[in-house]
Amino acid sequence: MIAIEGLTKIYGRRTALDHASFEVPKGEIFGFVGPNGAGKTTTLRILAGLLEPTAGRAFVDGADVIQRPDLVHERLGYMPDFFGVYDQLSAVEYLDFYAACYRQPKARRKKIADDLLELVGLSDRRNQLVDTLSRGLKQRLCLARALVHDPAVLLLDEPASGLDPRARVEMREILKELQTMGKTIVISSHILPELTELCTMVGIIDQGRIRATGPVHDVIRQLTIGRRLRITVLGQKEEAIAVLRPLSAIHEATMVNGAIEAAFEGDEATAASILQTLIAAGIKVSGFNQLEGGLEDAFLKATAENVG
Amino acid sequence: MRRIALALWNPIVAKEYRSRMRTWRSPLAMTVYIVLLGGLGWAIFSGMSLSARSAFNTGQAASFGQGLFIYLILFQMVLLAFITPALTAGAISSERERQTIDLLFVTRLQLAAAFVVTAVAALTLGVIGLACSTAFTRTLPATVAAYGAAFVLLAGSLLFGLLFPTDIDPNATRAPAPPAVSYLSPLLPLVTIGTNSPVTWYGVRNSPVGFSSACAGPYGSSCAVPLGPNGVAIGKGFVRTPPQPTGTAIPSGLFSGWQYWQATVTMQLLLSLAALIVSAALLPPIRHLPWRRPTVRESA
Repeated sequence: MIAIEGLTKIYGRRTALDHASFEVPKGEIFGFVGPNGAGKTTTLRILAGLLEPTAGRAFVDGADVIQRPDLVHERLGYMPDFFGVYDQLSAVEYLDFYAACYRQPKARRKKIADDLLELVGLSDRRNQLVDTLSRGLKQRLCLARALVHDPAVLLLDEPASGLDPRARVEMREILKELQTMGKTIVISSHILPELTELCTMVGIIDQGRIRATGPVHDVIRQLTIGRRLRITVLGQKEEAIAVLRPLSAIHEATMVNGAIEAAFEGDEATAASILQTLIAAGIKVSGFNQLEGGLEDAFLKATAENVG
Repeated sequence: MRRIALALWNPIVAKEYRSRMRTWRSPLAMTVYIVLLGGLGWAIFSGMSLSARSAFNTGQAASFGQGLFIYLILFQMVLLAFITPALTAGAISSERERQTIDLLFVTRLQLAAAFVVTAVAALTLGVIGLACSTAFTRTLPATVAAYGAAFVLLAGSLLFGLLFPTDIDPNATRAPAPPAVSYLSPLLPLVTIGTNSPVTWYGVRNSPVGFSSACAGPYGSSCAVPLGPNGVAIGKGFVRTPPQPTGTAIPSGLFSGWQYWQATVTMQLLLSLAALIVSAALLPPIRHLPWRRPTVRESA
């Protein structure tokens, strides 16, 4: 559905994007992750036909973004990271205006606006002026705006930035609903735990290069070696670490927020034998659980390798 | 017909009308405009009627209408020149400032086409304002540039006629006309139309007059001889009165035989076209400028 091939963008002497390539099949939610200035927004702007790449090609639903921007705009909804709204227009008029810009017939526009306001939960504010809406509500309205022409692909640049936790959860619910509607969605974000939960695929970008891409769990597995244990004990923390460190399966054991975190290599049996060893040494274990390696770890691993 | 109506009534125009008419500024601007125009009309009329009465000259009343017309039309022209840039200079750059322009670029609107349609309906000053709005990223410099352009168009072109007037050729068979650049100013045709008389008071000058001992004859050893621009004597020892223009047509030069307003409209349309082409080339996010070579794309 979306493909970029060897995409490069050079601003003066700075290379913002360096031969980036990835593909997103239909119906996937692709999380685009990277530190500030990594090239996420540049990639999305090229895909939206707002920026010309220095080299490489980009396709949306088979249409080349440079050769056929008209087709791309028809099939794509774009929500930029920063955007403004017009003064003196109500929410419903705002959507009507963009529906007209997307050449939707006048007879259908009212229904489109009503349906979308319903989808993003703004029905009760349909007549409120858009510049008086809160940041979170503006974000939702902008998402509705990106949907006025029922595009197959959505590009969302930091849709959750600046939102409070509740608004973020609401935004996530809306995105999940859009996924069930069969849309292909690309989300760039810093808020990694949310992406793990929401996305089916992930791409990690740093300094203009794609460091890893693929299904979320594959990328996490690929980048996080070993497993982690979180052990809480009653007192005896130093003793517990002293017991753990000599074990061959344990890579390291440290205190994190009053609990012991230990990286180990092995399976469930190895974890069980570690617990047995602790108990046999007389340590009073009150909690023992395995930590799932997250996208955050994978991200830190992927980007740390390239520092310096 | 429907297509033309659709093209003219594009969503941006509708949105602009809707949002502009909701603030108190638009009715206020209109009221101020009408009050100024009405006040000026009243002042001119009462002034004229007063002078007619005191001079016991009832014949003046016949030209009241003409007098009112010329003052009001000039006043309106100047007002337009200053209101239009204020309205147009921010049209594109304010979309950039508000960060709404990207949202328009990704729609199916053919922005360049919509822009051309909107701008064709506007005046030259409007188009130049729009061109400034496109070329400058921020509204303030765009507005300043648009006012500068309005000033150059209105007064600068007239100033050109004062600084570089047409030299009167004493041997010419046709009356001299102001230089073509000065027709850019709409003030010249407006005055011609208003007074219904030819321009004799502006844009022409007598050739530099020199004294030449070569001039012999009844006037003695030195006499006034008109010299051409290169200093060569071109007269016969006396200054001939060149032909005087009659009617309101341009008597000679590039637009010889045209009405002043025709020359102004043509030049302004050409300028608008140039400003439009520049704007349309600068507006799209991905510019296909003719002087840029196509980028060589690498395939992955």
